[in-house]
Amino acid sequence: MSELTLIIIRIGFLALLWLFIFIVLYSLRSDLFGPRLTQLQQVAVQSQRSRSAGTTGTTAPAPAAAASDTPTTITERAAPAGGGLARRIVVTSGPKTGLELDLPETGLTIGRSSGSGLQIKDDYTSGSHAKIVRWRDQWMVQDQGSTNGTFVDGKRVSEATPVRVGSSIRIGTTTFELRR
Amino acid sequence: MTQAAPRDRAATGSNALQTGLIQLREVTEAIRVRVRNPAKLRNLELFLLVIAWVVGGGAMVLVQLGALETVDLFPLQLAAILAVLTFALHIALRVVAREADAIILPVATALNGIGIAMIYRIDIAQGATGWDAASMRQIAWTGIALVIAIAAIVLVRNHRVLARYRFLAMAAAFVLLLLPLMPGIGRTVNGATVWVGVGPVTFQPGELAKIALAIFFAGYLMTARDSLSVVGKRFLGIRFPRVRDLGPILVVWAMCMLVLVFQRDLGTSLLYFGLFLVMIYVATGRRSWMVIGVGLVALGGVAAYFTMGYVQRRIHAWIHAFDNDVYNASGGSFQIVEGIFGMAHGGLLGTGLGLGRPYLTPYANSDYIIPSLGEELGLAGLMAILCLYIVLVSRGIRVGFQGPDDFTKLLSVGLAFVIGLQVFIVVGGVTRLIPLTGLTTPFLAAGGSSLLANWLIVALLLRLSDSVRGRGFA
Repeated sequence: MSELTLIIIRIGFLALLWLFIFIVLYSLRSDLFGPRLTQLQQVAVQSQRSRSAGTTGTTAPAPAAAASDTPTTITERAAPAGGGLARRIVVTSGPKTGLELDLPETGLTIGRSSGSGLQIKDDYTSGSHAKIVRWRDQWMVQDQGSTNGTFVDGKRVSEATPVRVGSSIRIGTTTFELRR
Repeated sequence: MTQAAPRDRAATGSNALQTGLIQLREVTEAIRVRVRNPAKLRNLELFLLVIAWVVGGGAMVLVQLGALETVDLFPLQLAAILAVLTFALHIALRVVAREADAIILPVATALNGIGIAMIYRIDIAQGATGWDAASMRQIAWTGIALVIAIAAIVLVRNHRVLARYRFLAMAAAFVLLLLPLMPGIGRTVNGATVWVGVGPVTFQPGELAKIALAIFFAGYLMTARDSLSVVGKRFLGIRFPRVRDLGPILVVWAMCMLVLVFQRDLGTSLLYFGLFLVMIYVATGRRSWMVIGVGLVALGGVAAYFTMGYVQRRIHAWIHAFDNDVYNASGGSFQIVEGIFGMAHGGLLGTGLGLGRPYLTPYANSDYIIPSLGEELGLAGLMAILCLYIVLVSRGIRVGFQGPDDFTKLLSVGLAFVIGLQVFIVVGGVTRLIPLTGLTTPFLAAGGSSLLANWLIVALLLRLSDSVRGRGFA
C-alpha cells in the first residue's frame, strides 16, 4: 500500500472521529439551544392555557396562535398585553419572588395571619393587610386598614382601587403583579 | 416527580385545594409525555452505535495496516464481540429502558473500541499472542463487563431501590477496599497494594468500590442534606458549616488517608475524596464544603509528602521531570518524559496508528495509553477522545440536572463526576499538570476491573436517565 493512501486513510480516521463527535453534538442541539416544541407539546401548552383560563368547552387550539408566541418553556404563561381579566397573581420582588397563584373567583386575602390566602411574613405586613376582590369586570385591591399601607403603582391607596394587568402592588417589601 | 417540584408553591400556605390542583396537573402532564415516541431516541442510539463500531473497527484495521501492512481478520472477528454485545445492550434498552439517554452507549462503545485497538497495537510491538496478549484479555473482559451491564439494566428496574441499600453499599465499599490488604489474596504491584489475585486472574476491587461509595454517598446525603446545609459562623466572606456537621467529611477524609497510607495509592484516595466533595457540594450548594475539602486535601498532601517516600518521589518526578538525575533514577521521571516525548513526536495529526513507537514507554497500554494515543493520533485525535469524555460526563450531569428526585440527581452526578475526575487525574498526570498517579483511563486502558466498573456505571447512568421521562432531548 502506497504512502499516500495510508496518509489519506489516517486523516480519514481522524475526520471520522470528529464527524462522530459533531453528529453527537448535533443531536444534542436542543440541550444546548433550548428545546424546540413539538406539535404535541404546543397542543399541550394550548390546552393548559385554556384550562387555566377556566373555559370548560375546549376551544380547538389553533396551531397558528401557538406558533405566533412560541413559548420557550411550558411553564411560561401569557404575557401581559391587551385587555381581559387577570387570572393569576405573581410575586415579582421580596422574599417570595417568583411565586405564582391562581386568583380564586372569590378573591384573595393578603396578610401575615395564617388564614390569609397569600401569607407574607415580614415586619411591615399587618395580620389582615389587604384584599383583592372582583368587582364587575375588574380586580380591585382594598386596604384592610393596614399600618404600613398598600401601594398601587407607587401610590398609597386607602380605598378600593382597580388594578390592571401588569400594574404593581406593593405590600411591605413584597411586590405583586396580576397576570392573565 | 410530584414530591419535589410543587413544594415551594405549596409552602405558601395557600388553600389546599390549589395545591391539589397543581399536583393533579403535574400528574396529568406526566401521563401526557408518556405518549411521546421513545423509538426516536433508540433509533438515534443505533445510528450512533453503528458509527462507533466503524470507529473501533477502523482503528483496528489501521493498526494492522500500519504495523503489519496486511489485514488480519481474526483479531477483528474477536473484537466484534464488542459490537455484538453493545447491540444486545441496545436491544435490552429498547425493551426495559426505552427513554434512556441515546448518547452514553455509543460514546462508551467508541472509547472501548479505540482502547482495544491501541492495546492490540502495543501487543503487536511486543510480540504477545494468545492469552499473553493484553488485547485478548481486554476483549474477554469487555464481554464479561457488557454481559454484567446488560444484567444490571435488566435486573435493576427501579434504581431508587438502591437508596434502601445505602448502608449495605457502604459495607461493600469497605470490604472491597480492605480486600487487597488481606494476606493470601492481596497483591502488591509496583508498590500499590490495590490488587487481589486468585490464580492467574487479578482484580482491582477499588474500581467497584467507587460505585458502592457513590450509591452510599447519594443515599446518605439525600437524608442528611438539610442538616449539612445549615450554616454556622461567617469567616473570610464564606459561611462555614457548624463544627458538629464536620463529622462525615472527616470520616471520608480519614478513609482516603488510610487508602493512601496502607495501599500506597495516591490516585484512588484522591478519586474517592473528590467524589464525596462534589456530591456534598451538589447536595447542599454550599461553597464552604469545597473550601474545607480542598484544605483537607492540602493538609493530607503536605503530611504525606513529608512522611511517605513514594509521594515525595512522585512530586520530585513531576517538578524536576527533565532533570537528568531524576530521569535516570529508579522510580524517577523516565516514564513521564518518554510519554511527553511520544506526544511531541505525534504532533498535530499523529504518526498514524501502528506507525509510531508508543511501546517505548513503560505501561504504554494501561496507565500510559493516553500518550500512546497522543503519539499515533496526534493532538487532533487526543482532543477528539477528550471530547468523547466531555460528552459522556455531561450526559450524566444532565441527568443530575433533570432528575426527578434527590437520590437520582446525586447518584448520576456522582457517577458522571467519578469518570470525569479519573480522566482528569490520568490526563493531568501524563501531561505533567499534576503529579502522576496510577489510575486507569476509563474504557481505554487495559484492565478488566476498570472496564467492568465503568460499564456498570454506564448501565446505571442509562437506568437513571430513563427515569427522566419526557424531559430529554429530541
